[in-house]
Amino acid sequence: MTYVKWTVIVVFWACVFAFLHYTLPQHDIARVTDTYEKRVDPGENRWFWAQADVGSDGTLQNRDVFFIQTRRANDSVMVFRNEDTGWSWPPYFKFDTSNLQAEAADLRSTADAPQWVAIKHYGWRNELLSVFPNAISVRPVEGPDVRIIPWVNILILLTLAAVFWAIWVRWRRFRAARIDPALDAVGDKIDDGGSWFKKRFGKS
Amino acid sequence: MFAMARLFIIGFLVLTVVYISLSLYSRAVRRGKLEAEWEETQPPLPKDTFVDNGLQEYDGSLRRKLILGVYIVPFTLMCVIIYLTNFY
Repeated sequence: MTYVKWTVIVVFWACVFAFLHYTLPQHDIARVTDTYEKRVDPGENRWFWAQADVGSDGTLQNRDVFFIQTRRANDSVMVFRNEDTGWSWPPYFKFDTSNLQAEAADLRSTADAPQWVAIKHYGWRNELLSVFPNAISVRPVEGPDVRIIPWVNILILLTLAAVFWAIWVRWRRFRAARIDPALDAVGDKIDDGGSWFKKRFGKS
Repeated sequence: MFAMARLFIIGFLVLTVVYISLSLYSRAVRRGKLEAEWEETQPPLPKDTFVDNGLQEYDGSLRRKLILGVYIVPFTLMCVIIYLTNFY
């Protein structure tokens, strides 16, 4: 039973962590090497694509998606998709995909004359499923070693923790005050005998 | 347009559940506090009247109207995010 309990707990927290890691914004310091657009046909990976641009027909099977190619400060490459999140999840309310593509194209640079940028994004890159993180914004920074403090994430995580803690404490208090005494009363009644319950299930 | 309508309708329903739960909880807390106050100060009024008067005062209070923040805060946050993401 202990194994089952701990498996459930570990799986639960892993899901919470994965969800937050996918959804919350992160920054990459990188150099934009190129931008392009390509037709995509979401299949098994359709969870990891957003939807068609806000205002356009969202019922079609395939569509063109903007991409931003980068080389990061640690020398690895990263490819971002650039899609509207619109009014759907996650709540970035991003409608300016085309503007972002224009900014990214403007910030292109070569290894010889690098222009470093901070790319805010959410999502994961997975080569096996052709999954790309979605770029939210791009802005020029001083150099590859800039330190960006994730204030938004700190704020969101603190708020989440505070809300869940507040509910948890109240639930504990409620259980101690109302549910436990009620269960005890039921137990006492069964022990005392004479109840409907005992007649059917109790030892005679 | 459909996505926007979906967000607003689902958001409204979820926030309404939160609003109602919070209202009931806040009222219950207020009732508990009034009962405790009656026990402590022993005013000349009967307990029920004292608590009812207190709750009536609470119904008209600013504190209760603050719970409307359940709707206002997320909506404001949404507007701020839209501005920051797209136009800032």
